[in-house]
Amino acid sequence: MALLEVENLRVHFPVKQGLFARTTGQVKAVDNVSFTVGPGEAVGLVGESGCGKTTLGRAVLRLIEPTSGRVAFNGEDIGKLSATELRARRRQFQMIFQDPFGSLNPRMTVSDIIGEALDIHGLAGTREERGHRIRQLLHGVGLEPEYALRYPHEFSGGQRQRIGIARALAVEPKLIVCDEPVSALDVSVQAQVINLLQDLQQERTLAYLFISHDLAVVEHLCRRLLVMYLGRVVEAGEVKGICRAPRHPYTQALISAVPVVDPDSKRQRIVLSGDIPSPIHPPSGCPFHTRCPVAEARCKIEVPALREVSPGRWAACHLVE
Amino acid sequence: MALLEISNLQIDFGATRAVDGVSLAIEEGECLCLVGESGCGKSVTALSIARLLATPPARYAGGEILLQGRPVLRLSQRDLARLRGGVVSYVFQDPATSLNPVMRVGAQIRESLQLHRPAHATDAEILRLLRLVGIPAPESRVRDYPHQLSGGMQQRVMIAMALASEPKLLVADEPTTALDVTIQAQIIELLRELQGRLGMSILLITHNLGLVGDLAHRVAVMYAGQIVETGAADELLRRPRHPYTQALIRSVPEIGRERKRLQAIPGTVPSLGNWPSGCRFAPRCPVARPECPTLQPQLLPLSGDRLVRCPFSEA
Repeated sequence: MALLEVENLRVHFPVKQGLFARTTGQVKAVDNVSFTVGPGEAVGLVGESGCGKTTLGRAVLRLIEPTSGRVAFNGEDIGKLSATELRARRRQFQMIFQDPFGSLNPRMTVSDIIGEALDIHGLAGTREERGHRIRQLLHGVGLEPEYALRYPHEFSGGQRQRIGIARALAVEPKLIVCDEPVSALDVSVQAQVINLLQDLQQERTLAYLFISHDLAVVEHLCRRLLVMYLGRVVEAGEVKGICRAPRHPYTQALISAVPVVDPDSKRQRIVLSGDIPSPIHPPSGCPFHTRCPVAEARCKIEVPALREVSPGRWAACHLVE
Repeated sequence: MALLEISNLQIDFGATRAVDGVSLAIEEGECLCLVGESGCGKSVTALSIARLLATPPARYAGGEILLQGRPVLRLSQRDLARLRGGVVSYVFQDPATSLNPVMRVGAQIRESLQLHRPAHATDAEILRLLRLVGIPAPESRVRDYPHQLSGGMQQRVMIAMALASEPKLLVADEPTTALDVTIQAQIIELLRELQGRLGMSILLITHNLGLVGDLAHRVAVMYAGQIVETGAADELLRRPRHPYTQALIRSVPEIGRERKRLQAIPGTVPSLGNWPSGCRFAPRCPVARPECPTLQPQLLPLSGDRLVRCPFSEA
């Protein structure tokens, strides 16, 4: 059974305008998204800014209330839980944030930051046990146990991200939603954190929902991939297969736009014209048709459904055979 | 004579030396890429070309910058004003904060024209510039305020402003870092096309090695305030010689390259001025020898036009 099941999830935000903040429209940040994450599986979620990937990640953890749809964890619909029940279940799913500077309380020591999670879920035990557990967690993410009494400002970006990971691991979750966990880090430090996430996944059979704009990182770390554009999943499947032979025109352009270091493996670049449309006024029909190099007349009218185009590969495009 | 020649530049912030003996040259029509991580001194070097650093806190402690043969560090304010914009223009990382939020886009470009090419400060020239940088329907966009444009369009306006004065050298400091991947591809494509069409030189500052091959003729890699390796772009990417460049290239994941594990560089990037003694990369270097922390390696020729700051790298 899947660890996480998301069915027809929608998150719509009202657009308020004018003196009395009347609702004049809706932003469909997440529009009818379905997927599953198995135990110990890493699923990547890529897309550009405003595509709804962060909103989706938060709605999965019910940090944002979904408008409709079902999110089930171990078969249990978490949309139906009361606040108290939800808090208890949250032990099993945690989050790592993008900004290692803004996501740690500057007035708390590392020991308090990690210990708070233990206290909330009643996992602390005696004082000695709590201290021992915190030192163990720090060691597990590659930090010196002596750092427990320091404050966040004493650490570099990469070290802070390790503290954030230790905090998430403290309650022994089954799933971690990682929202751009390495994009704020220096290039030479990113690999350390990626390797750490990979090791932890193997040691603890952790599942990840890995949100990123960086396809190369996702390809390295994940087994399956969802590509989002304006709130919808446009392509889904095995990550290696998608990177080798993307089917949706947006995925093709996205992969071709990723900068390549090796001058001998330069790809033919598909440069998309135009900008990402505003999600407040999404285009009619296929949301990608305004930038699509192969769009036809019907793409402006009919919304393409996400369908299985080859075994295990899904794409939302009229033109994919 | 090179368009820009920086020799042995030293810049201090208080007691810390942020830039330590940087030498660079850019020929006319050439694109040089300066690569490095945060705090390595690449932006400070770039700003010093038009003497844009506030002094204090910064202090030009030594070295020379020659732009079209003129000594930038010794020019009068008057000559400097002519040089800024006139010979060298800048495009910065964050277009949203670099543009004036209460001025229409067209007016901001007109300002640049009035300063440097007053005879051309016309509506027609503004529209031509906006068209040049690929802004669709420029007639309606000139009256927009920056917040009405997307990030990619704002960056195009920044580039149009920089080009208004017809500079010889365009310094682009992380011009695509704040943009999405597909928009980044558009801007890089635009810079490449403009360079070919206008024949100007470009100094591209980036932390992204992947952008280097797209645009640069030559590359200089900076670490901890020093240049550690320079050479022809393709050659350097294909066969990096300095252990830092090698490690940096190996540590980035790339699509389609099957790898079980990334080769991470241990430790953290040294913060500004907290440079290790001896070879500055030694504490993180995978091939460091016991004597490295006591050596002061020089940037020396290896083969061809390649310079490397490591006595143990082989040609």
